[in-house]
Amino acid sequence: MAHMEPVNNKPAVSQFLQQAVLIKQGAEARVYRGRFLGKSAIIKERFQKLYRHPALDEKLTRRRTAQEVRSILRCRKAGIDAPVIYFVDYTTNCIFLEEIIDSVTVREHIASAQASGQSVEALYGLADTIGKILAKMHDEDVVHGDLTTSNILLVKGKEGRDGKLVLIDFGLSYISALPEDKGVDMYVLEKAFLSTHPNTEALFERLLKSYTASSKKAPAVIKKLDEVRLRGRKRSMVG
Amino acid sequence: MHLTQDLELFPEHSVTQLLFSDVRNCAELRKMAVEGQIPGALINPSMVLDPFQTLAAANKAVHLQKNGKMKTRSLYSEIIFSLSPTNNISEAFKRFGISDGDNAVLIVLVHNREDVLDKDDIVSNVDGQQIPADQMSTICDIAKIKKLYKVTPQEEKCGSVLDAVICRMAAKDVV
Repeated sequence: MAHMEPVNNKPAVSQFLQQAVLIKQGAEARVYRGRFLGKSAIIKERFQKLYRHPALDEKLTRRRTAQEVRSILRCRKAGIDAPVIYFVDYTTNCIFLEEIIDSVTVREHIASAQASGQSVEALYGLADTIGKILAKMHDEDVVHGDLTTSNILLVKGKEGRDGKLVLIDFGLSYISALPEDKGVDMYVLEKAFLSTHPNTEALFERLLKSYTASSKKAPAVIKKLDEVRLRGRKRSMVG
Repeated sequence: MHLTQDLELFPEHSVTQLLFSDVRNCAELRKMAVEGQIPGALINPSMVLDPFQTLAAANKAVHLQKNGKMKTRSLYSEIIFSLSPTNNISEAFKRFGISDGDNAVLIVLVHNREDVLDKDDIVSNVDGQQIPADQMSTICDIAKIKKLYKVTPQEEKCGSVLDAVICRMAAKDVV
């Protein structure tokens, strides 16, 4: 056991990912589906970005990996559903996560509801729940950083029971108590929501109402949201 | 009786778990492990909810060994350390290792997949009753586990205690 020579110099995780199924490629990371200790898992790999200075790239990537892990743990501790973290490899910046089975993205759910001609009112329950969860997350001072309807999964309930919502992709998340940051978080969601789902202003309004009603800190955030709407996401006008 | 699982990340390795109850020679076993006569980690099964918990620890230990990043001196001590939610090594051994007076032991072995594992040799060292390895959930002390890993009641709403434990183990390097 003491002498286990590696087959070659490539890290074991990189070799493993060659066999895994690539399911998504973004600007920050690649997402794979594979197995981890007999369970189905999602693997998020933050690859090297060659356009950045290697030292800076290494630092940023590592920090984002660590931040993603921290935010997920913080959410789960507060009872907000997020995938279980199975394993983190800081040498290749890979996170092994629980696969959320039997789920659709909220984006798909809303789109199919709209396509089947359902009234917007049928989705009010969903909007209420999203508002409540986001208020809870912001109460924990977790700012998601990339709220979209694709980053909220809807798990179908078993035997007629209500489903649950799972937040995913905390890759751009950070910890902040500032209403400003939370306001921007909601602004990003609003932009994404209204551009992916046409004619859902009333639905988003409902979400915001539920958000406001769920937390004492929410009114300050909504106030900031109104400011952000006027000026856009960036506070200063440089960069 | 025993459970063997391949490590997908390290295809040449497998992990085998053997569980014993009514063990009368824990002091002797511990001495043998310290002297390197038992090629495995001796774990206090009252702190283990599920075989997956020890598997995750073993996977992490092998990973750190391959990268030369172990915090303890051997692969087996690293498995024990990986189970702990904190970065305190002596505390980890105290909580997750076996003590002389214990009456149950979980042995975790890491071996080459193809090797025929000499389980009999290990089993013969233990003066106790081998029971199916997946029965650890019946002998673990769930209240103690929840307390040590600081599992909150809210957290149990969005997942099992095992989920909470696995997250703590995976995230302990950054908290």
